[in-house]
This record gives sequence, structure tokens and C-alpha cells, in this order.
Amino acid sequence: MANLGVYLGVDVGSVSTNLVAVDDNKEVLFERYLRTGGQPIDSVKMALQELYQEHPDIEIIAAGTTGSGRQLVGMMIGADVIKNEITAHATATVHFFPDVKTIFEIGGQDSKIILVKDGVVVDFAMNSVCAAGTGSFLDHQSERLRIPIEQFGDMALTAERDVRIAGRCTVFAESDMIAKQQYGFSKAEIIRGLCNALVRNYITNLGRGKSLEPPYVFQGGVAANKGIRAAFEKEMGHPVMIPQYYGTMGAIGAAILAAENYAKTGKKTKFRGLDTVELDFVSTSFECQDCSNACEIVQIVLDGVPVISWGDRCGKWSAVSKGQ
Amino acid sequence: MKLAFPYMGEGSVAYHKLATMLGHEAVPTLKPTQKTINIGVKYAPEFACFPLKVMLGTYIEAIEQGADTIVSSGGHGPCRAGFYGELHQKVLQSLKYDVDFVIFDSVFDNPRRCIDNVKKMKGNNSFKTVIYTARTVYRSLKLMDEIEKQLQKMRPYEAVSGTCAQIWKNLQKEIAQAYTFEAVDRLRKDTQEMVHAVELIPVPEASRLRIGIVGEIYVVMESSVNMEMEEKLLGLGCEVQRSQYLGDWVDFHLIPHRISKPHELEIQKIGSEYFPIGIGGHARENMGWIKYFAQNGFDGVVHILPFSCLPELMSQSIIPQVSKDLNMPVISFPMDEQSGLANNTTRIEAFIELIKAKKFGSMLTKKVV
Repeated sequence: MANLGVYLGVDVGSVSTNLVAVDDNKEVLFERYLRTGGQPIDSVKMALQELYQEHPDIEIIAAGTTGSGRQLVGMMIGADVIKNEITAHATATVHFFPDVKTIFEIGGQDSKIILVKDGVVVDFAMNSVCAAGTGSFLDHQSERLRIPIEQFGDMALTAERDVRIAGRCTVFAESDMIAKQQYGFSKAEIIRGLCNALVRNYITNLGRGKSLEPPYVFQGGVAANKGIRAAFEKEMGHPVMIPQYYGTMGAIGAAILAAENYAKTGKKTKFRGLDTVELDFVSTSFECQDCSNACEIVQIVLDGVPVISWGDRCGKWSAVSKGQ
Repeated sequence: MKLAFPYMGEGSVAYHKLATMLGHEAVPTLKPTQKTINIGVKYAPEFACFPLKVMLGTYIEAIEQGADTIVSSGGHGPCRAGFYGELHQKVLQSLKYDVDFVIFDSVFDNPRRCIDNVKKMKGNNSFKTVIYTARTVYRSLKLMDEIEKQLQKMRPYEAVSGTCAQIWKNLQKEIAQAYTFEAVDRLRKDTQEMVHAVELIPVPEASRLRIGIVGEIYVVMESSVNMEMEEKLLGLGCEVQRSQYLGDWVDFHLIPHRISKPHELEIQKIGSEYFPIGIGGHARENMGWIKYFAQNGFDGVVHILPFSCLPELMSQSIIPQVSKDLNMPVISFPMDEQSGLANNTTRIEAFIELIKAKKFGSMLTKKVV
């Protein structure tokens, strides 16, 4: 039997590492959402192993990476396409919802609004200096309130009253939440207030000066949270769609981009295959002392040999690795 | 007298030459590093803008290298930079540094102070020497602008990567030694020959990408405080042009306009559509530049501002409208001491993708095989 050709997409974010495989028709065959836990390399290795266990008969035609760890992991697995997560997310959303006009994406450390017209990204905004209203903050609050993050959204839906919480800054939001809790509001009410505050802050910060038109699609890990979805629908006054694979849209986008790149160039993939799992692949970092910039150089060492470096301002280290 | 100058873009080597030609000692040019930024941030008021902090760091490093006089330019109009000379002086005094300041404001704002400053710088030189020196330095600046503008259009297409950067580096080194008109002219000829000899990959006009850079002058011009924005754009295959070049600045601020005929007058006029009055800094000019870029075949504009910069905050809030009027994608980057690159890299890459999709049509809409 001929092997089944698939396209691999990996999205290495701050909080989760996602890996998908899609077939020629962009149907998702395999989907894995893992917590990165500060170990992107190990998470990717683990997900790859699972992929090959579940589908021993596949052949990877092309691979793409995205997310903040895209360079690192792209290097490691031998990706053909390394793309920023805005493009990757939009690619996947347009595939599933060709008419989409506004994409809300909330991940672990960043949040984005992407405006699409006729299937093309025409504008976007991304949080720059502040991580208020992203998944990490919700994680932190769920821990503090001792409510598992999976139940967080459902709990918000049970609240009967609204509590106003300041969402501008997570530090103030937290002290506001504590104040409200001391007044005797229930956990459910506070969580609902928090969801509303996050969405309010998100829309005012990122949506500033933009006209946000429906259809709306909400994705990213936080889309699992029903409370946030409800808050979005309330704020926008319009239903908000959530894709089936909301948590791995970036990875799906990367896979689609890899497929498109393959269709255009026909190049044989650089993907290392299952061998990746066996590779002794470590990333180290050191402070370069050659000038007072003291850049932090990140170096990837493959079987004892440095293969790529980045982080230098002067280009000295990255030039060396390019030359090799 | 041992002089020090703030560093703003590679043209800053010319100041050093100015000092040497007038027989002054000068500390070597000080391109800001992470250490400079750390020193500046430590001693500057928290809500002052980023350029003030970096310049303060530069001055302290200069003083530690023996500088006793700091020569800088002042501000113009309502932008806070107008106080910065005085503020720097105060901060340095409170740190018990003994240092003199020579601040050049716009000649037209305060001719008296300008003459006093020139007298201070003049030393024992004759006026003839001073004028000759000034003209040599001016020629050097214009030469650097000319070459830089050419290279910014060539670099994405160079066949051997690093060729253009090498020419640029070489020019910076040589220009410091060109003390006469003849030497500068010879250098122009040599450099132009090198520029014309660069082997370029032919790229059809229709598939070129041109990005304009506008914003606050210091963060636009100095690569160490704008996360190497120009480098990044060139690396992504875009031609770039900035709104600010040192020679152009001199044309506008230090030379009577009927002689220099600065392009900036025209830019100001275009910008008046959005800012009928000057609100300080280069806010009005930036609007003019965005429109100029839109009318001159550019595909997008990157707007860089220091976090908390007042004039550029105004620009930032007008930009969505300007961008809509001109159908020109514009993206803003506030710069601060934060040095993490991931976020900016993602945004700039996505911005270039957006422009490509706008210009060449998108990969997203096409059906795949």
C-alpha cells in the first residue's frame, strides 16, 4: 500500500505546542495540543512520536512551523516554511470560513485581531507592551481561585449578576477581583466579570480605530473558555463562531502554507522525519562579551556541533552559522 | 576642550571630523549599546521619552571617557525635546558631573544663541577656517546621504550578500579622514564607482517592494534604538527610504531655505492637510511623508515612535485615517528599553506579508492543486 502523503504543521507558542497533520484536501488527520512547559523541543518530539504511532503509514510531503518558537523548531525538524503566526492563523481561518472578516485570536502570551477582506489579511493588531487579557493571566487566576481552567468558562455562565472589574492591567484586575471577593461576590460572578473585563480591554486596545465587521471567528487556546465567548458575543452584539480545531489553528495554517509552498515549488521536503526524535538537539545560550551590548546569543547544538545562532546585533554569530 | 556628540545614525562620524578640523579633541563616536541604554534609563526621569534616556546614557559614557563639553541640537516647537538640553544638564549636575553644554537650536529660532555657540566652537580659528570646515562637513553629510539612499535601493538585490554593507562601512571609515573639498569629492568618485560595480540580481519593477520609514527623528535614524528596523526590512527583501537623513536636517534647520531649497518645505505643505499647525517634532512632516510615499510608488510605511512621544502619539491617532485615505498600509512601532524582539519580528513579518498579498494577490485565495 502506498504511503499516505500529509503536510505537517507545528505551532510552538509560549504556553502550548501544537502539532497537526493534514492531507491533500486539508482535512485534519491528526491533532495534538500539548502544554509547552518551557520545553518546546521535548514537546515536539513527543507529539511527533505520537503521530507516527497513530499513523505508521504516512509520508510527510512538507512541513511548516509558526509561533514564537518557529525558528528553533523549524531548524530542528527541518521545516520547509517558517511563518509568523498572524499569517498562519489567517490562512487556517480563511480555509474553514472563506467569508470571515474579523478574527479574534487569544493565545497564551499574545492576542491579535486580524481583519480579512476577500480572503486576504488587510489589517491586524497585536498586543505589544501588555499581556493583559491573554491565556496566561486566566491560568494564573484559575490557580488562585482553585478552579480548573477547563471549568472556568462554564462557571462564568452560571453567574446571575455582572461584576465590574477593571481590565486595563492584570495587576489592577487582580486587586479589583480580590476587593470584589471581599465584598462577598461569588466566584462565578467574579469570573464572569473577569471575562467581560478581558474582552472589553481586548476590543478597546486592539480594535482601536478599526471597524470590526462580522462574520467573527474566535480562536486560540482561550476560545475553549465559554465565558469569554459569551462576553465577545455580548460586546459585539453578534454571534461569534468558534472553529472545530480552535486550539491548533496556527499549526493548521502552517501545514496549509507548507502545502501551498510545495504546490508552488515542488521541492522535496527538508523534514528530518522520525529521526528528529533521536537527535541530540540542545539549545544553549551565552552572553557575548565582545562589546558592551552583551547580546544574549542562542545557539543550537546538533550532536555536539553548533548549527545555528541568533540574538546578536552585529550579525557576527548568525553569519558564522549561515556560512556553515 | 574635549567634545562629545550624541550619536544618531552613521552620519554622526561627521561631527567628530568637525571637532578635529577646528583643532578640538573629541571622544570617539559613541554608538549606543545596551549598556548606554541601561545607564540612561537608570538616571533619567521615568516618563521622559526614550531618546532622552539613551542620550543621557551617551553623555555619561562620554564624560567617563574625558569629555568636558557636550554639543547637541535642541528641539523646535512644542515637542519636549526643546527642554532636553537643559534637563540633561540638570541631571548631570545632580550626579556631580562637571560638564559644559553647547546646544544648537534652529538658527531661525534664536540667532543670538547660535552665534554665541559658534563663537564657543570657533576657538582660535579664523572665520574663514570655520566656514571652510562647516562646508566640508556639510559636503561629507550630503555624500553620506547620497550613497546611503542608493544603497537602500540596492541591498535587497545584491548578488553577493554583504557587498553594500561593506561599501557603507568603508565610506564611514574614509569620510572621517576626508578633510578637504577635494578629498570628499575624490571619495565620492571612488564610492560611486564601487556602487556601480555592485552585481545585482535583476528583479522586475513590478515585483519590488518599497517601504518608507517615518517617525521621531532619533528612533528613525539610530538603528541601535529601533531594533535594527531598517536591517530587518532590507533582510525581508524591501527597499527602504527614511523620512530623515542628517544632510536633509542641516538643509532645513541650519541653512537659509532660499539657498538649500529643502525638500522638507514641500513635505510640510503636504502634511498640513492633516496638521494645519506644527505640533512639535516631525508630526506634520511625517503625515507629509506618508502621502509622499503613497504618491511615489511605495507599498507601505513603518512608523516608529518612542513610547510616550507626544507629537508622534498624535500622528499615531491620525494614521488610521491617513492610511484609509491613501489606501496605504501603515504600521506603528513604539520603541522603549524593552529589547525582546519576538513580538516586533512577528508584526513586521506579518505586515510585509499583508503588503505582498495586497500587491501580488494572495496565496490564501488560490486553490491548491
